[in-house]
Amino acid sequence: MLFFLTIEDKYILRFRPFEERAIFDSRVVCYLSDPLPLAIIQWAAEQLTRGQARDFCGENLEIIKKRISKVLNEYSSGLDLKWKVPERSSSAEDSMTLGREVGNGNETWYAINQLVRGKQLSVRDLRGLAKDFKLRDREIIDLVHNNVLQGTALWVPSVKRNSKGWQCQRCGEKDVEEWPSFYGLAATCGSCGSIGPSTSLDVLYRDQRLFMNSSAKVLFQPHWRLTEAQNLASEQVAEFIGGTSDKALLWAACGAGKTEVCFPSAAGALEQGKSILFAAPRQDVIYDIAPRFQRDFPDYPVQVLTGNTSNRFQLGNMVLATTHQVLRFWQCFDIIFLDEMDAFPYRGNRALDWGLNHALRPGGKLLYLTATPSTEALTSVRKGEMLLIRLPARHHRKPLPVPIWAKYSGSFEGNVCTSFLIERLELLRRSGPLLIFVPKISWVAPWIKSLKKQFPYWSVEGSYSSDSERGPKLKNLKKGQYDIFVSTTILERGITLPGIQVVVFGADHPVFDERALVQMAGRVGRSAEYSGGEAVFVSKNMTPAIKTAVSWIKEQNKLALELGLIQL
Amino acid sequence: MKGIFEELVKATRTLWYEAEQICVFCGDKHGPICPSCRADLLRPELGRCRGCGKLVLTEKTYCSDCVSGRGPKQLDQITAWGHYSGGLKDFIHTVKYNTHPRLISKISRPFSEWAIRQLPAVDGLVAVPMHKARLAERGYNQAEVIASALHWELGLPILRGVERIEQRSSQVLLSRQERLRNLEGTFVVSKPGYLKGRSVWLIDDVTTTGATFEAVAEVLRTSGVEAVYGLCLAAGLEKG
Repeated sequence: MLFFLTIEDKYILRFRPFEERAIFDSRVVCYLSDPLPLAIIQWAAEQLTRGQARDFCGENLEIIKKRISKVLNEYSSGLDLKWKVPERSSSAEDSMTLGREVGNGNETWYAINQLVRGKQLSVRDLRGLAKDFKLRDREIIDLVHNNVLQGTALWVPSVKRNSKGWQCQRCGEKDVEEWPSFYGLAATCGSCGSIGPSTSLDVLYRDQRLFMNSSAKVLFQPHWRLTEAQNLASEQVAEFIGGTSDKALLWAACGAGKTEVCFPSAAGALEQGKSILFAAPRQDVIYDIAPRFQRDFPDYPVQVLTGNTSNRFQLGNMVLATTHQVLRFWQCFDIIFLDEMDAFPYRGNRALDWGLNHALRPGGKLLYLTATPSTEALTSVRKGEMLLIRLPARHHRKPLPVPIWAKYSGSFEGNVCTSFLIERLELLRRSGPLLIFVPKISWVAPWIKSLKKQFPYWSVEGSYSSDSERGPKLKNLKKGQYDIFVSTTILERGITLPGIQVVVFGADHPVFDERALVQMAGRVGRSAEYSGGEAVFVSKNMTPAIKTAVSWIKEQNKLALELGLIQL
Repeated sequence: MKGIFEELVKATRTLWYEAEQICVFCGDKHGPICPSCRADLLRPELGRCRGCGKLVLTEKTYCSDCVSGRGPKQLDQITAWGHYSGGLKDFIHTVKYNTHPRLISKISRPFSEWAIRQLPAVDGLVAVPMHKARLAERGYNQAEVIASALHWELGLPILRGVERIEQRSSQVLLSRQERLRNLEGTFVVSKPGYLKGRSVWLIDDVTTTGATFEAVAEVLRTSGVEAVYGLCLAAGLEKG
């Protein structure tokens, strides 16, 4: 989107999205006939004023115009720079009436203005909003520009260049793709392109208002009772929210119910009119917790945003969103709960991390929730930069099954069911259905074939990320229809399978780090009826990852025992 | 410090190993275009309608639209690199709508090598122009980017002088006849003498009915251009 550079009375430089806005504003003395990217206008203004206020009061208008033209020509020699004086006739009508009804109770304007609060939107996003309301693109731009004029919002170049180089203003990425444009060198961000392009020639609309102005009555009706362990953790979460620390890590045992631990604090914060984001890297998590929130907070408007959400613009102080969607918010959340901080695609993605931190209001609180914290998070805890809250026990007060390492010298590549494997699988099957994890997709089909041949009376199936039959197979798995299910790490998280026994083939493979191993072992013994079970890591070598995974689980049990949260 | 170390590792790797190219259309190994995408998208077994560039059965010279006189008439030939579908369509969309003009460089060599085998050598390249307002908004003309890649690979000069003076509604939803009418008076040649007597490749990203090629070719012919060959990345496929 381009803007018209205008000179107002007292010779103040401003910019407007449409020529009409320059013509019908009596303050405008003259303007450039061709619109320009905001980045160029801002660059020119900075060059002219050298960081001072954009006020040329007392100077000669013609000299100011010449100086502006000179600076712009320095940026790009191909610009056609002609100054125009607004021709205002009394008979002329402003073609854009909607934006001019601000404050006159226009319902459409009011509805849109509520939806854009606290958001950071690209022009493409705004066009999508225009479509939802059956408005013209320029009408929606004009509407939000009113907020800019009133000082409650900003237009910023989507990718900005400073003395150190380019930076995407939506996701913070500095490693951008440069290309020669009509205006000289331009840049496109490759990191956040999945939610629409971000380039140096385009702009972001940043709304700086809070979601809601006042506190509201919140009906919190939990359909569960916190366990002793959850209660302890929940109290610590509440202390953190009311305290002085800005970051905390809730390190929970797999299947300990960490989400619900945050609910009482969330209810308290919502009562005070605070805004809350519950974010997770994966859609599955959002879709899993959305009904739980909606059940426990009846009648409270909750925004649910993932890449598959058709309705991008919703209302409510509570937002449940995947980490990519968080890039559409700007400094508007008082509290952010980030679930599964160690999961793909959030882990190691600096753009998503930047987005999450910039969605938080200055002085806001960020609580990371995980069963398998990253090394960086643990280092921050050790350095005292982040509070640590522990939730070491499951609701059924039984210890976490500690994985057993079974040394196996044979090769998994040949998919041969040796007597060693057969004996163990038969033994484990007596306790429940088997979930066998393998490190590579290419192992899944051959192992299904081999196991089917070895156990002809058992139902054997398997899946992986790109399996087109994944959905129906997982449904059958949850119904307990398989004796053996072979899977890659796609099932390491977010699934509860009553009575399941876990076996990891090739546990020493580099793809299985300590986090993956803890998560896989964490599938065992989650429900009260089947609180036991076994997790067996089968491999030739004992790796540091296996050692760490086992020590983490043992340490959780030790802590839980010391606190009296489990019974042996 | 960690960042410097990572950069050093990356630089060392590039010194020792040749980076494996991935397919620009599907992301698979064996780039820049994998055998599967070459077969499915570039369709080398099919011919191209000389009239409009559409992919046709190899025994046909013209598609049925061009045979019945509904195709472009001002060009000597139009040809398209591949079928406007799947990964090729996504690629063009990414270049055009997601602002990644530099992506064209990934296909510049295979596309140029293919083009020079299909069309006779000419005096220069003319990119289908974009209206000034749209160029200002987008920042680049994808047809010019493609022409620039061909110039880089083949050394053919880029000829300027054609302008788009009117911005018309999108062609996407229009019929064949409506497309031709929609473009009347849209293009002008600003320096006719400069182009007189020359032969050119007229470059665009995609062609559907050939209406845009036809409209530009018409003003080129009026200015005395002797031969006009249309070249684009993708076109439709004749059914049946």
